Amino acid sequence: MSFSSRWAAVSQGLSEFYAGPYRRTFAQSQRDEDDHFMLVVLAESLGVPDPAAYYTAELLPAVYEDFHDWHQRAGLERSPLDHISCC
Amino acid sequence: MSSLVAATADRHAIFVGGKGGVGKTSVASSLALAHAQGGSRVLVVSTDPAHNLGHLWERPVGDDAVTLWAGPSGRVDGVEIDPSRTVDAHLASVSDTMTRLLPDHLHRAARAHLESARDAPGTHEAAVLERVAETLEIGLDRYDRVIFDTAPSGHTLHLLAMPDKMTGWTEKLLANRDRSERFAVAYGALGGTKDTSDRDAELRRLLLRRKARFSLMRDSLADPRRTGFVIVTVAEPMPIAESREVARQLAELGVALVGVVANRLSPADLMPARRTREDALLEHLDLGAPITRIPLIDELVGLPSLERIATSLV
Repeated sequence: MSFSSRWAAVSQGLSEFYAGPYRRTFAQSQRDEDDHFMLVVLAESLGVPDPAAYYTAELLPAVYEDFHDWHQRAGLERSPLDHISCC
Repeated sequence: MSSLVAATADRHAIFVGGKGGVGKTSVASSLALAHAQGGSRVLVVSTDPAHNLGHLWERPVGDDAVTLWAGPSGRVDGVEIDPSRTVDAHLASVSDTMTRLLPDHLHRAARAHLESARDAPGTHEAAVLERVAETLEIGLDRYDRVIFDTAPSGHTLHLLAMPDKMTGWTEKLLANRDRSERFAVAYGALGGTKDTSDRDAELRRLLLRRKARFSLMRDSLADPRRTGFVIVTVAEPMPIAESREVARQLAELGVALVGVVANRLSPADLMPARRTREDALLEHLDLGAPITRIPLIDELVGLPSLERIATSLV
């Protein structure tokens, strides 16, 4: 292995060492915001009466793909909604 | 003396409201007729789920406009809002989007999921609001004036308050998206690889479109040059008490009250005592808008009786 490629590997390791925790924090914070948003959009399906269901319905297509990750993060191993069998 | 027709002449949108059973539909229709006789093109829109427009004009009226009266230059068209049709169309279009975006095995589930929104509390009102906004938008292209024959007070005040409340709702969700996107940018700058920008852009687009519609509606309702409210009441203690409450809430909402109609006044020759009581009640009624008095009319259906009321509005 040449010196330059070893140097690159060390450099990459270092930035991972310093930046990694911050990146994870940001990823976590984004997920928290997104999870909250998901909760708002799914309220009616989760049994919380949602007076804005007419409007949240149109947001559903955009968040639907994240549903599986969401319920697993929420601590539910299987889909909590009978009609969504993502797993 | 300023007549109701004159008071509403420069308004594009007129909401006619009041307690249940006081004659909102007949006042809204006669007001429309009076304007049309003066040469205006007027659309009457019933937002009350218990529609009466068709019964009054003695012809079927539905979710699409039908002509109720046509003169040499003016005319009256009518619509009875059907919220379930709006809900169907809305959910169908969301369902289309889902079908386009999602993998096949999720289609059925997604559709079932949407069905839960159909019967949610508030969906019906949201659809009425959507149709009111639509008829206002389309209506003002094709008509000089749109007159809303509304549901009893409580529902209507709630409907009028909705654009403002929902503007706040979209703002909260947009603030959530702002935070999420800022975290995503920071995450990306530190070498994060999961890309959510397509989804984020789509959510933002949908929320901004909603917010624009709500705030447009809110602003046009609170614009006294464009929108006016007419309270219909009968000269009895309870409807009058409710009218006071409606006037107070309209002031809070910033909706201009342009007229009050005291409907179905008893004939002084046949029921003198009752008429004296009614006059006394009206004497002390000051809602901040002129009161128009309409005598009791027997068998209120069809054009002749509407014409009779129209003459007392000019």
